[in-house]
Amino acid sequence: MKTKMFLALLVVGAFCAVQPAHAHHAFAAQYDPNKPLTLNGTVTRMEWANPHGWIYMDTKEPGGKVKHWMIETAAPSQLARHGLKKADFVDGMTAVVKGYQGKADPGLANGRTLVLKDGRKFYIGSVGGPNDGAEPQ
Amino acid sequence: MAYFRCRVTLAVMLGGMYLFAGCSKPAPEAPPPAAPPYNPVASIREVMNSVIDPNVDVVWNAVKTDIDHGKQIEHAPANDEEWAAVRHSALTVAEGTNLLMMPGRAVAPPGAGSLSPGIELAPDQIRALIDKSPSGWNQFARALQDSLQPALAAIDKKDPQALFEAGDKIDEVCESCHQVFWYPMPAASTQAQAR
Repeated sequence: MKTKMFLALLVVGAFCAVQPAHAHHAFAAQYDPNKPLTLNGTVTRMEWANPHGWIYMDTKEPGGKVKHWMIETAAPSQLARHGLKKADFVDGMTAVVKGYQGKADPGLANGRTLVLKDGRKFYIGSVGGPNDGAEPQ
Repeated sequence: MAYFRCRVTLAVMLGGMYLFAGCSKPAPEAPPPAAPPYNPVASIREVMNSVIDPNVDVVWNAVKTDIDHGKQIEHAPANDEEWAAVRHSALTVAEGTNLLMMPGRAVAPPGAGSLSPGIELAPDQIRALIDKSPSGWNQFARALQDSLQPALAAIDKKDPQALFEAGDKIDEVCESCHQVFWYPMPAASTQAQAR
């Protein structure tokens, strides 16, 4: 019984640990503007939520190991304004995300652009990101 | 008759002098303003962390779509109890903005510094910005309060889509204020191109 309880708590704890923090902070407080990255992988989940969306992506490391990423995006209204729809997130989809590495969590990133397999490209950056030319004028 | 007229004139004159004397008497000094009955206990940072943020998260998280392997799972309050819980949080945020506007509240607990030195301002820098523009600070707080009204209306109508859209507006106000009073530095430039 105690073992079951322990396991249940472990699962709940693990779930809580991967939940994105919703508190607002400056971009540079959470992400490193000097560590741009390009992620090419499979999107497993998308959280279409306020105040930020979250893309969950699996990429393959050089040794074949799968790495899980949580990628912060702009608010859904912003994504929609740039043409992205919930229906674009289909099962098994591959995509390329360009963005910036998280400072504290190596599996955290801030997305700037999303390119789908069909070639459509979307700006997904949130407010306060670097002036890197990703944002459409 | 002349005697009577003379007495009336005298009475009018005396009355006028009395009135004049009364009007020219210095006004009594206004009592000094009473100290406000309230007493801020928490700092602005603590109000944000303990009152505003956890409750606005409830409002934001009340309606969302989880797209798991292409399957859209809609989340929204499912019964009266859940709607009431969201309303509770929306009201707490709306009233919490009054706490932010109360004068005399410290920005952060004594001795606390910036949460991200060099990126987010230190408490004394935030204090200076608020003192420079208390009306600007209050306008943002009121804007946050106002942004909760559509959320409350959506909750009362049990309208998930309207609540979701209201959440977006709340975020805009939060971000606008933070960019003025919390991390007003220009966006970090980088040579990296995310094109």
